[in-house]
Amino acid sequence: MRRSSSISVSSVFAIVALLWAGQGPGTRVTYRVRVVQDGDLELARGSVSGPAGTDLRFALRDDTAEVEALFQIVPEGDTVLVSGEFFTKRRLGRSRRGLGLWEQDTYRRSVRLAWGDTARVHLFGRPRPGTPPSEGLWVHVVLVRGFSGGEGRPAQELEVLDSTMDIVLEAVVRPRRAHVVMNLVRGDTVSGPRGFDLVPEAPARRVQLAMAGRTTTLEIGLARPEPAKSARDRVLALDADVVCLRIATPEVAQPVGVVCGRLNDVARRLPLPGGDTLVATFAWPAGR
Amino acid sequence: MSDSHEHWLKQIDAELDGEMSLAERALLAKHLAACSHCSGARASQLEVRVALARSAGDPHARVVPRPTIRGRALAFWAVVALVVGVAGGWLAHGRWGGPGGALEDVRAAIVVH
Repeated sequence: MRRSSSISVSSVFAIVALLWAGQGPGTRVTYRVRVVQDGDLELARGSVSGPAGTDLRFALRDDTAEVEALFQIVPEGDTVLVSGEFFTKRRLGRSRRGLGLWEQDTYRRSVRLAWGDTARVHLFGRPRPGTPPSEGLWVHVVLVRGFSGGEGRPAQELEVLDSTMDIVLEAVVRPRRAHVVMNLVRGDTVSGPRGFDLVPEAPARRVQLAMAGRTTTLEIGLARPEPAKSARDRVLALDADVVCLRIATPEVAQPVGVVCGRLNDVARRLPLPGGDTLVATFAWPAGR
Repeated sequence: MSDSHEHWLKQIDAELDGEMSLAERALLAKHLAACSHCSGARASQLEVRVALARSAGDPHARVVPRPTIRGRALAFWAVVALVVGVAGGWLAHGRWGGPGGALEDVRAAIVVH
C-alpha cells in the first residue's frame, strides 16, 4: 500500500514537471512581438499564442524587400530553442524592360534562450561596423509559457503603428484532429450530413452513408498532404492546416480518391464509382 | 583579301598622308600600274579624303587634318576621371556597401538581447 502511494505521488510530480517543461497538453505558448526601427520607433506590436507546438509566421514587406519567416520552438527545461526559417526577397534593380529584378534567399537561423528572454531578430543582417547600434530594423520576440486554462484555440493580435510597411503575424497550428462532414449527392437527392472527428495518419475507419433508402459503405482515413512543391510554401508551412481525406470502398483495395483541403468549411466534391458524388467539408473540431 | 593587298593599301594610306620616301613612292607607283585593284582603292581613298576636306571647309586641302589631342590635356582629364571614380566608389561603398556584398551580411540574424 505504501509502495503504491509513493508511486502515485511520484507520477503526479512527473506529470507536473512535464507540464512545466512546456511539453504537456495544458501548456500555452505566447510569442510577444515588437517591430522596431532605429531603436525607438515602434512600427507594430502584437502577440501570437496557442497550445504547445504553435508556430509563429511573420512577414514584413515593402516596395524593396520582403522577409517572411516561420518561427518554431523546442522547449528544453528552462530554456527554449528558437528556430527561424527565413524566405527573403530583395529588389536589386530593374530589367531593361523596366520590370523589377529580385534576389530570393532561403535559410535557417536558431538561438537558445531562457523563457522570458528577448530574441532580437535583425531582419536585414547585423548592423555594419561603424554604424550606431540603434540604427536598423529588427523584431523583438519574447517567449512566454503558461497553463492553457482549457483554452486550446490559437489566438493572435496585431497593432500596426506604421502603415508604410505590410506586417503580418499569424499563428500556425497543425491540427491534431479534424472535423469532417460528408454527404452523398446524386442529381437532386442529397443524403443527410454525417460528421466525424478524424485524427491524421490514424487507421482508416468504415462509415455508412444512407441516401434514398440505399446505404453506401466507405472506408475513410485522414492524412497529411504531400510536401509542398515550392520552397516558399515548405518554409512557411503554408499547408499546415491542410488535410487529405482518403476514400476507399471495402470491395476495392485501391483508394477511390483523395480530397485535400484547408479546415475552412469549403465543400469539396469527389465522384464515386457508382455514380454518386461525395461532398466533404473540413473544419476545426469543436473545443473540448 | 590577300596579305599583299593589305600591305599595298597601307602603303597607299601612307602615301596620301605624305609619309613616304621617294623610293617607296616609286615602288608603289610601279605596283599601281600593274594592279587595277590597288589603283582603284587609291582612287576611292582620294575621293573620300577630298569629300572630307570639303566638309571640313578646305576645298584645296591636300591632306585631311587629323584631330590632335594634346598630351597634357589627355593626362589631365585621365587624372580627373580617376580621382572622381575613386572618390565616388569610396563614398558609395561607405553608404551602400559593395556591389552585392557578402550574402551573410544581408541575411537575418537572431541574437539574445
